[in-house]
Amino acid sequence: MVEPLELHLYSKDASLMRGKPLAVAFPQDTAQVAEVVRIAGRTETPIVARGAGTGLAAGASPTEGGIVVVTTAMQEIDIDAGNRTAWVGAGVINLDLSHAAAPYGLYFAPDPSSQQACTIGGNVANNSGGPHCLAEGNTTSHVLAVEVVLAGGEVAVFGSAAPDPIGLDLRGLIVGSEGTMGIVTRALVRLLPVEPGIRTLLMGFPDVIAASVTVSEVIASGLVPAALEMMDQRMTIAVENWLRAGLPVDAGAVLLAEVTGEEEGVVSQADVIASIARANGATSIEIAEDPEHRALLWKGRKSAFGAIAQLAPDYYLHDAVVPRTRLVETMREIYAIADRDDLVMLNVFHAGDGNLHPLIAFDASDPVVYEKVRRAGDEIVSICLRNGGALSGEHGIGLEKRDLMTDYFEPVDLDAQARLKEVFDPGGIFNPAKVLPHGSRCFDFAGGKPPEGTWV
Amino acid sequence: MGVTAGEVVTPADVDGLASLLERATREGLAVRVVGGGTHSGFGDPEGPDVVVSTAGLAGVHSWEPDDLTIVVGAGARVADTEAMLRERQQTMVLPEHPGEATIGGILASGVSSLRRGRLYPTRDRVLETIVVTGDGRVVRSGGRVVKNVTGYDLSRLHVGAFGSLGVIVSVCLKLWPVPPASATVNLADPSEADRVVRPLAVLQDRSGTRLYLSGTEREVEALVSRFDGPVSPGLAWPEDPAGPWRWSLRVPPASMAEAIGRIPSGWDYLAVHGVGEVRAASAGPEGAADLRGWAESLGGRLVVVERPEGASFDPWGAPPPGLHLQRRLIEAFDPARVLNRGFLPGGI
Repeated sequence: MVEPLELHLYSKDASLMRGKPLAVAFPQDTAQVAEVVRIAGRTETPIVARGAGTGLAAGASPTEGGIVVVTTAMQEIDIDAGNRTAWVGAGVINLDLSHAAAPYGLYFAPDPSSQQACTIGGNVANNSGGPHCLAEGNTTSHVLAVEVVLAGGEVAVFGSAAPDPIGLDLRGLIVGSEGTMGIVTRALVRLLPVEPGIRTLLMGFPDVIAASVTVSEVIASGLVPAALEMMDQRMTIAVENWLRAGLPVDAGAVLLAEVTGEEEGVVSQADVIASIARANGATSIEIAEDPEHRALLWKGRKSAFGAIAQLAPDYYLHDAVVPRTRLVETMREIYAIADRDDLVMLNVFHAGDGNLHPLIAFDASDPVVYEKVRRAGDEIVSICLRNGGALSGEHGIGLEKRDLMTDYFEPVDLDAQARLKEVFDPGGIFNPAKVLPHGSRCFDFAGGKPPEGTWV
Repeated sequence: MGVTAGEVVTPADVDGLASLLERATREGLAVRVVGGGTHSGFGDPEGPDVVVSTAGLAGVHSWEPDDLTIVVGAGARVADTEAMLRERQQTMVLPEHPGEATIGGILASGVSSLRRGRLYPTRDRVLETIVVTGDGRVVRSGGRVVKNVTGYDLSRLHVGAFGSLGVIVSVCLKLWPVPPASATVNLADPSEADRVVRPLAVLQDRSGTRLYLSGTEREVEALVSRFDGPVSPGLAWPEDPAGPWRWSLRVPPASMAEAIGRIPSGWDYLAVHGVGEVRAASAGPEGAADLRGWAESLGGRLVVVERPEGASFDPWGAPPPGLHLQRRLIEAFDPARVLNRGFLPGGI
């Protein structure tokens, strides 16, 4: 596809960064992906894999031009209920997989907020998370094997349904590599059994600090809930103005906790969480047992991003992560930035694993505001790093955070990562300029010469 | 640091190890890294010029019980560290009977806990690794937070790499709480385990099948009441089968019953249901070739974990895919190929 308007549609993902594709390909199967990769290799053309384009770090924006490979036609779902696995095409939508697995009493654990739209290929590329990754881990813990088109068009399968494949764990390296080492066309994923018992708690607190302390104490109590999510007051008000989800808008912060397991287990776990919340001054506690009530409590959380549109035309959603014990301090510092710069900041995030998502609502057409928002974003990242955190908990590095990698890693660490990239992609065609900043491959310990074009 | 052939060197710190490896690379010395020496039977390792012990890198750098994370030197013994973590009812979810094994050794050999079906394998417990590469670079990956996608996932790559990419010197691990109550139930048949959706483990050996449960008092009591078989309080984890030959059979989990049926009659075994792993021991390799052929036909493996000195049997079986990539990855970390040569499949 090369029509200008259509090319424009695929010029960016859900981030703010746009590229200019040369062509867009919609392969039907792995063989066609391999053919595109061969063409890209021969012509030294960049190749950018794209699922639904919901990525927030510009990982699927063709900022270096080239071919965008859209995986949405690759829709295989082949469930093996006995092994609790499924071979899944890269273009399958995350939620469609769990729906397909439901008749077998199974589900796919990673559940990004965009799960109604995002694809398994994108989840694999970004090692995506979601609310329910607190207890079960990000996507990489649920990928047993990947089928990947390598440089030159070779198709390989790394991993298997049997545990602990021998040799180096290439599957583990491919997952989360953001399309920079090859293009994943199918994945063998692990499915988990749906647990019979489930309780969802919606708890209101006087402020974010009280809610954060509750999070820390729940984790420290020896209990790992399936999910532990927080929304601040600005966010609950925005959500309630948009749709009636029954959130306590008078609360300074709302905590949503979910416990799953055997019926007898979830009852006592819900008790523990509720008593910790009460001890921290919870102003309301609502516990849902049945699916309808649960869905209502989750409705506010899941609709949060949709509610932003009424506040401002644009929003910048951050993704950073800090140790859970630094949550309170980090939140204080982040709010101080928003107050200082008079920014509309809302927070809805995965509190249980310290994964923050400060969201700034703004009007991007005002260059002064835009610059202020961008600068605040950098400051938020610095605050998280200073508190012992990392650049991204689940969205990926892409282009958005590429140049911040030097704040987090030493040159020798980045050089090691660049060497891995070189092994898989010596021609540099796979999603160039993403993840690793320019000049990463600058550290040559053995005393050889750095490759041309790099700075040392 | 001076090095004499055949010597065991114990660097006192990371810098000491780095300068030693830098020198090994310069002089082309073959280096063998040892922790507790409990998992040295894998592969076909070449005789080393120098043995490097990680015993000098055994400190606990930080333990944050409220974060459920620990940063610890690779030379720390698993047993000592677990004993410390028990004070706050936490665990690293590493093998239950580690013996002298070190944390670095467990990671390098990629072996996992018997609880892995519920609490994930070792590779999923690792948050950060610091390694010294074959040419003496100190490379960090991951981070000290429980959820992190910053940069390529080198940390998982080091798990099961047998030190071929670098010597693991320090790691941050994700800890897990140990629930207050637990029980072990003897089952008449493995299928009875289906009465609990996600048990901690279901293990079978020649004496029978046992179900391992943990949770709150009330939960464990209620779960136990679903069974008729004898119940014992707590979790009595079995030891791995012992014998001159030790094996790890790995098959898709649904093939477990058939796998058990195919274990030669003289072999001792411990099957981890839901995972697809059978740990086995035998007097000799008789029957192993057939078993391996069957496992490989399912995409599985039969791996030699230990064998008598001088005994010959292909340790890994058919080579894994992507050997050319594996070789090049190792060269990126260990250009002179000085580290732990011959442990990995494909003669790497």
